[in-house]
Amino acid sequence: MATDRRVARLGVLALVATLLFSALGVRLWFLQTVESAQLQALVDDTRRVEVQIPPERGRIFDTEGRVLADNRGTLTAALDWAVMRDDTDRATIFNRLAGWLDLTVEEMETRYDSGRYSRYRPMPIAEDVPEDVAVALQERIEDFPGLLIEPAWERVYPYAPLASHVIGYMGSITDQTEDYFKELGYDTSSQGERVGASGLEQSYETVLHGQWGKIVYEIDSANRIVRTVSSTPAVNGQDIVLTLDLDIQYYAERLLITQLRDRRNFTTSNPEVTYPNGQRGPMDRSLPVGTQVRYPAPSGSIVALDQDNGSVLAMASYPTYDNRWFSPEFGDRFDELFPANVPDDQARLINRAIQGRYNMGSTFKLFTAYAALATGVLGPGETYNDQGEYRLTSISEDRCAEGVRCVFRNALCSGTNRPCVYGTVDVEAALAVSSDTFFYRLGEKFYTIPGTPFQDAVTQLGLGKDPGIDLPGAYDGQLATNEVQARMADDGALGENPSRTLQPGDLLQMSIGQGITAVSPLQLAMGYAAVGNGGTVPTPHVVRMILAPETPDHPTKPGYANLSGATIARHVRPAGTPAPMPPATRDPIVNGMRRNVTGPGANGASTTAEELFAIGYPASAIPIGGKTGTAQGRNNYPWNDSSAFAAFSVDPERPITVVSYLEKAGYGSVGAAPVVKCMYLAFSGLITLDPPPIADPLDPEDTVAAHDLAPVDQECMRSTNAGTVAALD
Amino acid sequence: MLRRRPDSGLGNIRSSPAAPGRNIDWTLLIGQGLLTIIGCFIVYSATFTRGTDPYQFVIRQVIFAIAASVAMVVVMSLDYQWLRDRARLIYAATIVVLFGILVLGVATNTRPLLAIEIGPIQIQPAEFAKFTVLIALCAYLTDDRKNEEVDYARFLGSLIMVGFPAVLVMAQPDLGSGTVLVAMAMGVLLVAGAKARYIIAISLLTLVTMGAAFIGNLVNDYQLERLKVFIDPDNPDLEDNVFQVRNAIRAVGTGGVFGKGWLRGELVNRDVPVVWADFPFAAVGEQFGLVGGMLLLLLFLVVLVRIWRIAHLSRDLFGTYLCAGVFTMLLWQVFQNTGMTIGIMPVTGLPMPFISYGGSSLVTYFCMFGLVQSVHMRRMR
Repeated sequence: MATDRRVARLGVLALVATLLFSALGVRLWFLQTVESAQLQALVDDTRRVEVQIPPERGRIFDTEGRVLADNRGTLTAALDWAVMRDDTDRATIFNRLAGWLDLTVEEMETRYDSGRYSRYRPMPIAEDVPEDVAVALQERIEDFPGLLIEPAWERVYPYAPLASHVIGYMGSITDQTEDYFKELGYDTSSQGERVGASGLEQSYETVLHGQWGKIVYEIDSANRIVRTVSSTPAVNGQDIVLTLDLDIQYYAERLLITQLRDRRNFTTSNPEVTYPNGQRGPMDRSLPVGTQVRYPAPSGSIVALDQDNGSVLAMASYPTYDNRWFSPEFGDRFDELFPANVPDDQARLINRAIQGRYNMGSTFKLFTAYAALATGVLGPGETYNDQGEYRLTSISEDRCAEGVRCVFRNALCSGTNRPCVYGTVDVEAALAVSSDTFFYRLGEKFYTIPGTPFQDAVTQLGLGKDPGIDLPGAYDGQLATNEVQARMADDGALGENPSRTLQPGDLLQMSIGQGITAVSPLQLAMGYAAVGNGGTVPTPHVVRMILAPETPDHPTKPGYANLSGATIARHVRPAGTPAPMPPATRDPIVNGMRRNVTGPGANGASTTAEELFAIGYPASAIPIGGKTGTAQGRNNYPWNDSSAFAAFSVDPERPITVVSYLEKAGYGSVGAAPVVKCMYLAFSGLITLDPPPIADPLDPEDTVAAHDLAPVDQECMRSTNAGTVAALD
Repeated sequence: MLRRRPDSGLGNIRSSPAAPGRNIDWTLLIGQGLLTIIGCFIVYSATFTRGTDPYQFVIRQVIFAIAASVAMVVVMSLDYQWLRDRARLIYAATIVVLFGILVLGVATNTRPLLAIEIGPIQIQPAEFAKFTVLIALCAYLTDDRKNEEVDYARFLGSLIMVGFPAVLVMAQPDLGSGTVLVAMAMGVLLVAGAKARYIIAISLLTLVTMGAAFIGNLVNDYQLERLKVFIDPDNPDLEDNVFQVRNAIRAVGTGGVFGKGWLRGELVNRDVPVVWADFPFAAVGEQFGLVGGMLLLLLFLVVLVRIWRIAHLSRDLFGTYLCAGVFTMLLWQVFQNTGMTIGIMPVTGLPMPFISYGGSSLVTYFCMFGLVQSVHMRRMR
């Protein structure tokens, strides 16, 4: 060992250590015995509570400023978890609150036990507490330890069920969306905040939402607020103004219901057909030939666009629903009001205008004509001699003899009940009278040239791709391509032993809007709008502009916001996509569509729509070009025929495109075309529009998600019924 | 090497009683192990209400402890004289790293920059500097030793040697770790034989320097405010700073004699920010009361006594100085951290050794204890 004085020096170190530890010990003893009770009192005395201040959600106005989605400020009574932890304490506080909140202790216990509420925030014990009760509770707050009165907002839809599919509704944050909303700073705890779950509420969620605020109070042991520690105000959401005008929207929704209900009064007979084995018999073998079957007409839609800029002027879908049913208070009624097992054609939540997946029938011929003219498959002025049927030339006679379908016929003519024969027609006349054979020939020509020029041209007019509308869930559409054919064949959607590549017949079907090609009514409108405006597929949009938060109410008109007093945050003006359309391409199409509405037909046959527009459609109404369509449905039974009509304006001052599609409602000329005619008369100011009513409160006992609106005057749907010969289309 | 056959009569005669492996100080080792285990429990009780996974902190702490044990075994197996021979290299590396992080902090404008991130691991060089500077200082003081007292030149040399890294650490700014280095230097110098007046003089100088640094605004505002809080706790402008300390004191105070019970530390989990790293003693005090707090301090005292004993028994001065340095650092950190929790010291970011959540601190202390064990293991060589 070294001989130094380190022992003494180490002793100094030990002394220092002893001193320091003594100091700690003494202080600790003093703190935890002598001062303990006093500190406990201090702790009990000053607790902090946080009151979350929810932002007011942005409101939704129609183009005139009608408040379509509003908010109602409510008060929620919440209890701190700390006061409920002990069973006796909880029983006491529940008993005291029961009378005030008009709840039983059992109901409160059920909530407490439910496990639905976040432990990090006070548990809501009663929502929508009347203001006088809240004030009274606040005055006696020392009797209710741990009670917190928190503000909340409830979404209300004053004009429900109008435009429900467009406005949408609110719902809880789901497992799938939790991470997304957490990132945005939402309260994603169970029973946390509600978010847009459909329609504009969903697509403009981040615009409408705003930001939470917070007030921190220091409260004493009697639960009284001593002082405000900090306060962060909530930032309210931005308001949005729609392109929709509720006057016309109200009319459109009523019109749709009126016509669908009317169509259910009509019948069609079970026809006699030739079976593959050569025998003849009824088409529906369960019914005798000639049995009259009613059109079910279960559902339909209308969409009207400003064809220049894509503004959605009206969008109706039937059957509809009242979006107020999505309020949490009706959560237990959901399964009853929206049963899961209804057939597709009666599902209420689908916005058929953008989500419908339809064959478009002859309305598709506009796209076929465009593709043929734009690609040169059809020369200028080229004619075709329509003899009522078309025989494939790209398939050998042998294969035809083997049973491959090689002969395609025109639609039946009213009056003759045989396939119409139109003689020599050019594209203009073919569109006017809806000659199928003219377009069959184009379909086969497209089949014989390499590549996919037909599909490419149609895509350029907006089909088969995302329409880009600012609503969620819009259908992208589907064109007949080898890929789609193969996929559907593999999925077993095309029957037994289907071909995995497109055959000539498939392109013939596509050329007249049948087969595997599927389009939404909105896409149809976009293509028609592009022809109407001369070469731009507009990007459809429902929102016209976004306003700064807190747009004031209108001073004199109840139910309206004061848009002139609003601050515009930004306009929504999405650019369209060009679709090349030189006059040589556009003019014959426009003329053909125009002739379909005004006549004349060809070879003694009328056009499909001229009788309808010959009466009650004055010169002052918007001049239009349009096309009927009848899409065959399941088993080709006539009562499964769906009815389509699409039209564009030829008046640049009133650029409006309207499409209507009625499922299983019969021929286009009698189902959808009258609807479109009435819409144009309404847009022309020739029909008096009733003001949309503010909704009555929901009847909580109601068993229907939305009742049919009152019907409209059917005068505008009248046709001359001259008994002429025309394609039933 | 730890095995002894039963009834072998002569005991283990295959190795010398002086073999390092037979001279581990088990009391110290067990004391250290107990502190680490208590630390894990305290970290859990102070973090289980945070985040989604109640175990996320404690699992990391256990992993740190395992890594630290490995490091400790490595240090124990080394002869501390081997480290002495490499003291210059170790010191130079320390200075480079400390300087590097300071430059990085200024360059990226992230201040305070206390840690280097390597993947998921954050390394705090200031913690490791405690270990390396200690070795360098002790080596310097035993180098070419002629007379018993540390003469003036060597004293000054020591000050510069410790002062340089201490300033670098304080400039990060990590005032707490800087004070640990200074305390360590004083402890080692005291034992090494510096005159009492030198030590008193340097203590005064340190205080004056710190005062000047505060007045000259060389330290961060938050450090200044922490000090102000200590001096003037009722100043309403300092509400946010007072908050932390006041609630820590309340948590300890309301724990009373026997505490509120395991996992019933409501105040620490609600009102004391970063309790798991900065105020673990508040969690101890609130849950286990005066009894628990005293027992923890007693355990630290036992460990300190063992280190003191090893310093005393060391066969050479280098070993004694090393132990004295570890002793002083541990003493200072326990005192400072506990003291700030119960309001008799100003708040610094100094963790409580073995108890606070944090890997760098744990690894450093395990290494330093390994060093102490190494001295003990080789005392009879």
